[in-house]
Amino acid sequence: MTDAALLALVNGVRRALTRVVYARLLLLACAVVLSVWLMADGTRLVLGRGLMAVAYRSDPALGVLWHVILLLVVLGVTMLVWLLGRHRTRDLTTVRAAMWIEERESNARPTSFALVTLIEALATLQPTGGAAQVADHAMRAVAGSVPLQASARTLVAQADVPRAVQHWVRQQLLGPALFVMGAVCVVVTGVLVGTGGSSLQGVSRSVPGTAGRDRRGEMPVPPLGAWQVRVEAPAYTRLAPQQLGDVQTVAAVSGSTVLLRGTGPLPAPVLVRMVGSAADTLAVRRREQRVLPTAAPNGWQVRTVAGDGPVTLHLSRGGGSRLLVIEGRSDSIPVVSLLEPARDSVFRTADGTLALTATVRDDLGLAMARFELIVSSGEGERFTARTVPLGVRRFAGERTATIRATMDMAALKLVAGDIVHLRAMARDAHPLSSREDGSSETRSFRIARESEYDSVAVEPAPPPEVDKSLLSQRMLLRLTAKLDSQRPALAHQTVLAESMKIGRDQARLRQAVGDIVFQRLSGDASGEHAHSVGDGHDHGVEQQQGKLALSGSNAGGVLSEGDDSPIIAINQPLLEAYNAMWDAGRALEQGDPKAAIPPMRLALAAIERARAAERLYLRGKPPTVIVDVAKVRLAGKDTGVTNQRPAREALPPRDALRAARLVLAAQLVARDVLAARDSLAVLRVDALADAPAFAAAVGAVLDALRDRRDATDAFVRARRVLGGVVRGDGGIWSRGVPP
Amino acid sequence: MTDRHSHLPLSTGAPGGDPFSMEPFVFATAQYASGDWDSTPMLPANVIDSVARYTALPVRPQGVSVPLSSEAVFAYPLIFLTGHLPVRFTMREAEVLRSYLLRGGLLFVDDHNHDVDGAFHQTVREEIRRVAGPLAPLPNTHELYRSFFVFENGPPTTSHEMNGWGDNLVHEQLDAVLRNGRISVLYSSKDYSSEWSFHPDNKRFLSVDNTKFAVNLVVYALTR
Repeated sequence: MTDAALLALVNGVRRALTRVVYARLLLLACAVVLSVWLMADGTRLVLGRGLMAVAYRSDPALGVLWHVILLLVVLGVTMLVWLLGRHRTRDLTTVRAAMWIEERESNARPTSFALVTLIEALATLQPTGGAAQVADHAMRAVAGSVPLQASARTLVAQADVPRAVQHWVRQQLLGPALFVMGAVCVVVTGVLVGTGGSSLQGVSRSVPGTAGRDRRGEMPVPPLGAWQVRVEAPAYTRLAPQQLGDVQTVAAVSGSTVLLRGTGPLPAPVLVRMVGSAADTLAVRRREQRVLPTAAPNGWQVRTVAGDGPVTLHLSRGGGSRLLVIEGRSDSIPVVSLLEPARDSVFRTADGTLALTATVRDDLGLAMARFELIVSSGEGERFTARTVPLGVRRFAGERTATIRATMDMAALKLVAGDIVHLRAMARDAHPLSSREDGSSETRSFRIARESEYDSVAVEPAPPPEVDKSLLSQRMLLRLTAKLDSQRPALAHQTVLAESMKIGRDQARLRQAVGDIVFQRLSGDASGEHAHSVGDGHDHGVEQQQGKLALSGSNAGGVLSEGDDSPIIAINQPLLEAYNAMWDAGRALEQGDPKAAIPPMRLALAAIERARAAERLYLRGKPPTVIVDVAKVRLAGKDTGVTNQRPAREALPPRDALRAARLVLAAQLVARDVLAARDSLAVLRVDALADAPAFAAAVGAVLDALRDRRDATDAFVRARRVLGGVVRGDGGIWSRGVPP
Repeated sequence: MTDRHSHLPLSTGAPGGDPFSMEPFVFATAQYASGDWDSTPMLPANVIDSVARYTALPVRPQGVSVPLSSEAVFAYPLIFLTGHLPVRFTMREAEVLRSYLLRGGLLFVDDHNHDVDGAFHQTVREEIRRVAGPLAPLPNTHELYRSFFVFENGPPTTSHEMNGWGDNLVHEQLDAVLRNGRISVLYSSKDYSSEWSFHPDNKRFLSVDNTKFAVNLVVYALTR
């Protein structure tokens, strides 16, 4: 081995030893850091606060701080290791390396220092120049010493330097490396366990009395703030996912996934509770369950599935709580209406076609609709039946549709006695195959047997006679005026015919008026009769040129008419109308409608006066009495007592409880609006089934609170609805203010 | 309140004014289109006289007649309706009356006929049913019979019931439509229209004032 090789070997050992020093220092530093970390985590576990690594992963703010701390630690450790390493390797020269080699070889005997001397000399002989020339000569002499070189080389050969270095490395680094590896394993294991079982750590965190404090015990846990709600309906509904904001109530189809997301630390396990009258019958363990929140980017999330009824999700964090109401709505079956044929029927022969029409509608979407025929054959006690579908139609999610088909009687091969039951059916897209189909009402068609043919011929009855109701005077006037206006365009014969027709109606009306012009003692209605003037009867009126006029012998009172019932009263306005009608009728019979109009107007006016005639009292109209209040005030002999107004009837227990809850919610509005909204949301859901009006009124209160409006009126209205109080618009009447 | 001079507060003040101002009670007679609404012209004065005689209620000395088709009805807490002839409310009258009753007014209807199941009786009950709901017998223990004077046996019998036009049939109860426990429509077949239709000065000839029940009615209308 040459001198250079020997020197290089020793230098190599020196470098290796230097690296070992630095490595050991690094491992020791890591061991110290990990020890501190483990001690800290151990302390936190004892205190029930979870691992630091888990904490920083769930808390974004803490995560940033964690990374900063880690960076600082790394930099500090690196700097420390470098400084210590430099300090410790400052004296690690080539000569020191040579000595290290001799120490490894001469374990059992004294060190010869041959290698040390030789290396020292060789190191000195390295070209450095200057004043060391004298020493170099001496060192050259030492380096040239053959026995020294032989001794040194022998020592190197015996020392097995590579193996010694390996041994030394293992000896120096194994312990710290093992410690560091062990600590790292513990830390990583703790992080993995903590991340996967964060719920356990959450449960361990949510100890009563400690809510509101964070895991580090330094800052209070913030209360629940705003959240985001996402509703994903089942795929078959084809409904797009809904992204809602900070809502209190969510309506969702049964089976929808409701995802609730918020920011901040994980809240406590969520209490999911069924509400409503249907849930009251269930045991507590069946109507309540807990759902664990999970970590989400920038916060937390809770996932649940909507059922058929309403449920409430109760979330709490930092001493505060919030409520989310999920109004589950079941998917209803399609509604089918059979339009054609409209009724059952019996056919004599089984031929021909029948048009079938039906409408179908569904709340979420249709999948299929068809007509279904069930043909029953047989008689006595032996029957067979077969089902025939018609007009099958498939849909791609439409909500309303009309289906049509044609029923060919011949194609059904019906025979006498067969019965066909027809109905329309529809199915929606719900995946449950055992779900009921929507169906319409059933029509029945029967093929008559020969023995059932009806031999009785029923003649339809003739139409009833037209009502011979009287036309009113006003209508006669209008007809006459119209005839008069069209007169220039009509032929004379036509005008005459129409005029006479109106005249006949006028005469009938005149006779009816005449019946009531006279009020007879017996109540007979016979104003006109066939008596003529001079027949010996005193009518009380006499006909003068066809008109009726009071006769001179009528001195008032009862007018005797022989066998006829005496007249006891004459209606003067109607008498005037009667006479006017007479004039009008005469003009109409002569074909002069224009001349008939003025007397018809007179008759109409007279009839109107008769209608508005003032009523006369037999004892005469009494004078208006104005009471002298001051004179009679408290002059009565008797005394009375006003009694207490009774209390309003108490509400039924359930309504009384709701009223109390409503009042509490109103009082809570001033302190905590969110809590009040939660209470009202639960109250509304509870009343949905049996008190929908009250639920709607509470909904109005919630709307007012959500919109940050004054909810006083809404609260009052809700309370009145609960008490069955009906109040119209415009305030109470007693103010005397008309609406 | 037990004093005979008890003052009953009336909240009939004008809007914006003192809610406790003592506006006088005004007796209003309903004027409707279909029948003889003014068949008892003396009754308002008699009732007013009785209210003034037995209570301290401020009362206007003369009654008014108010058309049922007019929104003026809302100014009067109690409206009296009577007649002999069939009653058929027009659409407007029915609408106004329905609103009036909904807002707390009290309608007192009395059959001026001394008959059973007559035309007025049948038609007005149909109209009441259409406007306010079915009439039901009012228990004789109702607070109406104790609101001022005490009538142990329910509504007082009228002489016309006993010696009227021959039916000799006494109607034991009045009928009413109740709204939230309060009388909204009170119907009588006892012919108080005839019983109270006399000049107030003639009251001095009566040993028992037969108009005291009218005082109960007015007090009930104002305080319930």
